Amino acid sequence: MISATKFTQPASKAARHFAGIRLLSSSPIVAAEKNANSSRPKADRTQSMAFTKKEAGSKRTRSGTSTSVNLSAANPAYYTDPPKPKLDLLSKDTATASRLNTFMQIDDGFLQNTGKGRYPGHLAADFKLFGKPALLYRQVTQTLVDQMAQNAETAPKRATVLDGQNGAGKSAELLKLATVAATSGHIVIYALSTLPWVNSSRPYGPGYKSDLFVQHELVNELLRSVVAVSRDALNKVPLGRSVTLGKKTLESEKTLADLIDLGLQTPSLAHDALDQLLDIARTQTVVPVFIGLDEVNTLWCQTSYRDQEDSILPANRFRLARSFLPFFEGQSLAKGWVVGTTSYAEVRFMPKDLKTKLNPPPAIPIANPDLVRDPGVSELSFDVLKVERLSSAEAWGLMQFYQKANIVTTPVTEGLVAKKWVYANGNPRQMFAGVTTYF
Amino acid sequence: MLHLLGVNLPDQKVVSVALTYFYGIGPLTARKICSRLSFHKECKLSELTEGQLNQLSGVLSEMTIENDLKRQVAANVQHLRQIGTYVGKRHAMGLPVHGQRTRGNSVTAKKLNGKMLRKYSTVADTAFTRQAMGMFQSPLSKHQN
Repeated sequence: MISATKFTQPASKAARHFAGIRLLSSSPIVAAEKNANSSRPKADRTQSMAFTKKEAGSKRTRSGTSTSVNLSAANPAYYTDPPKPKLDLLSKDTATASRLNTFMQIDDGFLQNTGKGRYPGHLAADFKLFGKPALLYRQVTQTLVDQMAQNAETAPKRATVLDGQNGAGKSAELLKLATVAATSGHIVIYALSTLPWVNSSRPYGPGYKSDLFVQHELVNELLRSVVAVSRDALNKVPLGRSVTLGKKTLESEKTLADLIDLGLQTPSLAHDALDQLLDIARTQTVVPVFIGLDEVNTLWCQTSYRDQEDSILPANRFRLARSFLPFFEGQSLAKGWVVGTTSYAEVRFMPKDLKTKLNPPPAIPIANPDLVRDPGVSELSFDVLKVERLSSAEAWGLMQFYQKANIVTTPVTEGLVAKKWVYANGNPRQMFAGVTTYF
Repeated sequence: MLHLLGVNLPDQKVVSVALTYFYGIGPLTARKICSRLSFHKECKLSELTEGQLNQLSGVLSEMTIENDLKRQVAANVQHLRQIGTYVGKRHAMGLPVHGQRTRGNSVTAKKLNGKMLRKYSTVADTAFTRQAMGMFQSPLSKHQN
């Protein structure tokens, strides 16, 4: 008999259901959760918490360090700060054989003064991922640094041009060399790209009473970079003779820095100032000079500029190219070094005959006396240094750094390095592409 | 927008492209103008100085463009019609001039040809009015009647 006052559990499951009893009640669990959630703010479903909306009207995808993710609201488990490996700054003191196969940081101030935020070759993508401008110190780098130290005492009779495949590291080597030269007290005249000199992207005009064309803006930029990087060295070199630029005359006691400052004051005098600078700098023996031109093949190419009759202009019709051509055609410095690098990226600015001379076909074993006498076959007027593929030790150093910079997340083993090195054929740019394919 | 010789040119365009906005100047003529005035390929209109703009105006003033060119073309077509040439008649009829087929296509010719002639007429441009004005008559039929 069931008591009216006492509640007893019914016998069957169905009966229990109809009696309103649940064996496992979720209500306490739900209630507990509600109590816990009451302290948390209600989710605003009208606004995204992690992702910010792209700006209307701009269809270009944003690149660089900024992303469309609102990092302040992002999940910290997934969005972490990139690692910043500590690197030594590349300079005259740190450029030693003990740093072989390690990454060294390039002085950002030097890059800002010479490039204004631009980087030579394809290095922009690399530096962006690294978080800072850093390059591998290779054996070829050590060779070049030793040669530069030697040439600081006695300059060679010919200029040197670094040649190699696309992505071999020619522009990187020149950048490292220029950085070391700047810290060594050289007068550094470094152009990280000579493409703007010939690709019709910068203003130009006919020269006054001359058949040469002038590019005042480019020369102005070059002079600014020279004085920003090497002011101390320029101040040590007196002019040695009175120099007249326009209506102003500088006494012989004045220095090269004063000459450049005068040239910068009046854009139309920039070319004259550069010519005087090169003329005095190459003959003086007080301070060694480093002239570095990237994509030096443009000095011999057909430019994209046109004259008043709409004919294409060769590079030697421009005063800026004319100022540097003699250094690659036999004129030497008293102290210092002239280095250039080739570039095969823009094929239209690589003259065919220069390409053939740099990469001659296999030599025919039988000497052809007619060819020897042929005046069209002439030797190059500069020395060529080939930048070869990475060695195994250099590849190991490269991958080690990639792991430190979180570009490679898997453990770096000999097998992995060998695989990447072989697939890329030792080419640094291809190795970089191989590890960043899915970025 | 830069207003030059009666034409609004977009400031942010490259000069050689902006010049093609003139009637009578195409890419080749624009390039020749830029070469003559030593404007580099990537030079934008907004980057030109006042002196360069004056030089540009001077060069453009020497050329036959815009309304002068339109007037010249219209006068050429009128002349062809007045002396009774085949080409003139085809312009007047609004049919293809260069020997194209009229069995099909010829839509563009019917739309555009003879505009310069029709421009000066106050009569409605229909097949009936053209017939009424005797434009479909052959040269011989005039003498036969």
